[in-house]
Amino acid sequence: MELVVLSSFLAATVRMAAPIALAALGETISEKAGVSNIGVEAIMLSGAYFSFWAMFQSGNVYVAVFAGILGGAGASLIHAFLSLRCKADQTIAGLALNFLFLGLTSFLFLMQFGKTTTLPSITVLKPVALPLLSNIPIIGEALFAQDPFVYVLYLMVILLMVFFYKTEWGVILHAVGEAPRAADTAGIKVHAVRYLACTANGVLGGLGGAYLTLVKLGFFQENLTGGKGYIALVAVILGRRNPLGVLIAALVIGSAEALQIRLQTLGSTIPSQAFSMLPYVVTVLVLMLSMGKGHDPAALGLPYERDKR
Amino acid sequence: MKRTILSFAVMIIVILLVSFLLIAMVGSDIPTSLASFFRGIGGSTCAMAEVLVRATPLMLAALGVSVGFRTGFLNIGAEGQLYLGAISITWLGMTFPTLPAPLMLVLSLVLGFLSGGLWALIPGFLKAKFGLSEVINTIMLNYIAINLVGILVRTSLKDPTYPYPMSPMLPASTNFLQLLSPTRLHAGLLLALVCAALVYLLMFRTTLGFCMRAVGLNARACQCSGIAVSKYVIISSLISGGLSGLAGVSEIAGLHHRLIEGISPSYGYLAIIVSLLGRNNPVGIVFASLGIAALQVGSMSMQRSSGVPTSIASIIMGLVVIMILSRKSLFRCKEA
Repeated sequence: MELVVLSSFLAATVRMAAPIALAALGETISEKAGVSNIGVEAIMLSGAYFSFWAMFQSGNVYVAVFAGILGGAGASLIHAFLSLRCKADQTIAGLALNFLFLGLTSFLFLMQFGKTTTLPSITVLKPVALPLLSNIPIIGEALFAQDPFVYVLYLMVILLMVFFYKTEWGVILHAVGEAPRAADTAGIKVHAVRYLACTANGVLGGLGGAYLTLVKLGFFQENLTGGKGYIALVAVILGRRNPLGVLIAALVIGSAEALQIRLQTLGSTIPSQAFSMLPYVVTVLVLMLSMGKGHDPAALGLPYERDKR
Repeated sequence: MKRTILSFAVMIIVILLVSFLLIAMVGSDIPTSLASFFRGIGGSTCAMAEVLVRATPLMLAALGVSVGFRTGFLNIGAEGQLYLGAISITWLGMTFPTLPAPLMLVLSLVLGFLSGGLWALIPGFLKAKFGLSEVINTIMLNYIAINLVGILVRTSLKDPTYPYPMSPMLPASTNFLQLLSPTRLHAGLLLALVCAALVYLLMFRTTLGFCMRAVGLNARACQCSGIAVSKYVIISSLISGGLSGLAGVSEIAGLHHRLIEGISPSYGYLAIIVSLLGRNNPVGIVFASLGIAALQVGSMSMQRSSGVPTSIASIIMGLVVIMILSRKSLFRCKEA
């Protein structure tokens, strides 16, 4: 009996963590290239809305995922344009992005569906159990009887581990974020790399958002992400911009959420906010404890101006 | 100069066009919608008072944000600092309900300033002494503060006679003066205007303000010429958070009279936009907060009578900031 409970708890954890981890992996790529985007919330919201809209219109899940990716990438590229071309403050740009997409997605949603009384919904993706792997006791069900998005997430973690630390491209990405001038001198196109990194951020963030509507909820509503984009920023820092670390951080945060829901159904008297608060407290503590170790890419948040010293 | 004027003209035209387009997209009549927008902000005494009521917390929090910005302390945490101010006055009113009103007023302002200030001091101290990014820390502290309010209104600050998560009504001695009954206008507006004057004096007429601005302009040059950069960053974070704390006090004392969840519909984040629009200048902030408040109040009226979703306000604000950020670069303006 306890094993079943544990297994379903783990499965819930993975489902909570997946959208956060996807978006956080995107932000990791972006930050490694030196672009800090606090507009992950906007990217996810855009991905969630456009994938929902496409699914509702077409009923084709591939079209929906593609629309979510485009929505996320579009949001991220606005930020990239402001940060790279206009050399704007990246934090303010991210904030503006959040306002713009919070408004835009709510507006478009109300415009299309506001007059209906029933909440428009779509059929959510079914889990696909992987043969053999899903038969592993306890963790098998939780990790390998999930929906395709979760498998994409695993794949992304592995690919990014290889990409960041084993390929020339990974070196280039790090170089652009750590020492853009040196990278430029070595013939690397700094802005091209940064634009690509921002696009990747949008694609993964869009996938994370699409997960919320296509897998988890099956509907859209105003401010659907409700701060998940900021949680993704937490996962990036807790995971120290290492793909595996980011995944683990997202799982820890996801388990806090899953635990909170479980406790609520059990009728616990502890306010649920005490659990929601934990990831943020832990982040501040981790930041304090890792002080002075210089984990941030050296050029994080700084625009690169070729013609200036 | 020509380019500057041109760029602002283009901005205004783009905003108007986008607004018209959005209104037309939901199938509402543009003149009727605009009429209801302007009726919502200036059609009656009540409507005008409502704009001022909304502008009050924005003004206070934005003044705080601007002090931080001027010193190079990017305070995204006004939202959390506002909630801390709100918690402090609720605690004060519930713990010492019998204090005379004048004393209560002074205490609630001091306590609100301190609690907001200390909340901002955490990221300020971490930035000044250890170089930790204040952006992430202030965002984290926002969420911690919001959850803290959620916990408190369910536990120690809860009204035991109600099943809902909220504090009891605070004693009348905590209330701000109502200015223009029956409208909701309260003395918080006066507080905000006084603070604007004080911030102006502090930043532009005192040595402390001069040093803070110098640190914001070039921290390294200040370090080299013997100005203690970290000291000014810490002071700035304290003042910055304190003013946002006052915004929270004003919301409770003037408007809600009890602590509930969600007293701030993103005032703290809007304050950053207000500060940006007001160019971190107290006078500019007073007008910018009125503008943003009018935009919100007007869009609510537009939703009621013409069915245009209020999210149009959020779209326009995002658009305005994006255009401000890209203006100089796109129009090749050479102004400072």
